[in-house]
Amino acid sequence: MNAEKSFEWIYNPFTRLAGWTALGLGLLAALLMAGFGAYSQVVFDGVIDVHFQSTDLVNTLSLVGISLASLIVVFWLAGLIVAKPFRFIDLAGTLTLAKAPFLIMALTGFLATPPDMESILNNPMVIVQDPGFLGVLILSLPVMVWSIVLMHNAYKVSCGLKGSTLTISFIIALFVAEAVSKLLIYNIL
Amino acid sequence: MLPTICPSCHEQLNVTCLKCDHCGTEVKGSFELPLLARLSDADQQFILRFVKSSGSLKEMAAQLKLSYPTVRNLLNDVIQKIDAYER
Repeated sequence: MNAEKSFEWIYNPFTRLAGWTALGLGLLAALLMAGFGAYSQVVFDGVIDVHFQSTDLVNTLSLVGISLASLIVVFWLAGLIVAKPFRFIDLAGTLTLAKAPFLIMALTGFLATPPDMESILNNPMVIVQDPGFLGVLILSLPVMVWSIVLMHNAYKVSCGLKGSTLTISFIIALFVAEAVSKLLIYNIL
Repeated sequence: MLPTICPSCHEQLNVTCLKCDHCGTEVKGSFELPLLARLSDADQQFILRFVKSSGSLKEMAAQLKLSYPTVRNLLNDVIQKIDAYER
């Protein structure tokens, strides 16, 4: 396997992996995210959100479930509007797997203790004064970018989209999915 | 591989001469290449594989070690090229 192909597994595994296999791996990662998150006090309260918060397993599972469902349903509707016929299982599987990088954030929660809200309100600089927490904050950005790149490629491969149709519909669907997940989370939980 | 595109102006090439290797007879004219011959070598290989696997994209995906939607997208690209040639 050459370097380019190895690298492709990181940013676009979906040319070789989709459907039920991707869904199985994605769900496993989602369960681990929720499980570790419950103990490391990290919640995934949105399609591309990650926050430190006191929580339990039921709450982290519900949040992961709602954000995944929002992501899949909104992108499925977007695909129905702009793409040629495609298999729902490919989109559901690849998008679920695209959330897997957030597992890293669930694990990093064990390495850092977030400052409490009162300390932040008193002195916002407390965030950057804790090296562990600052490291987790910095790491969250590439993780989020990685996940968004994976979501983009999941949508591209599963729906067979290209060019401006792909770019515009992806950006709109991502914003809508984020909004829908937030609305559902605040209304249901 | 059969050259199908003019190296000078990049337009479609036509066949101007066919020769019988047995008796040496030559047929001259200007014959358009059949549609499938105008496709790239990779596209022709893809169509051959598609026919050999009885049109099963799942089987092709397993053979090529690619995902099902990737193979379906490759097929869509070939269909798009054929549509363009037909127009």
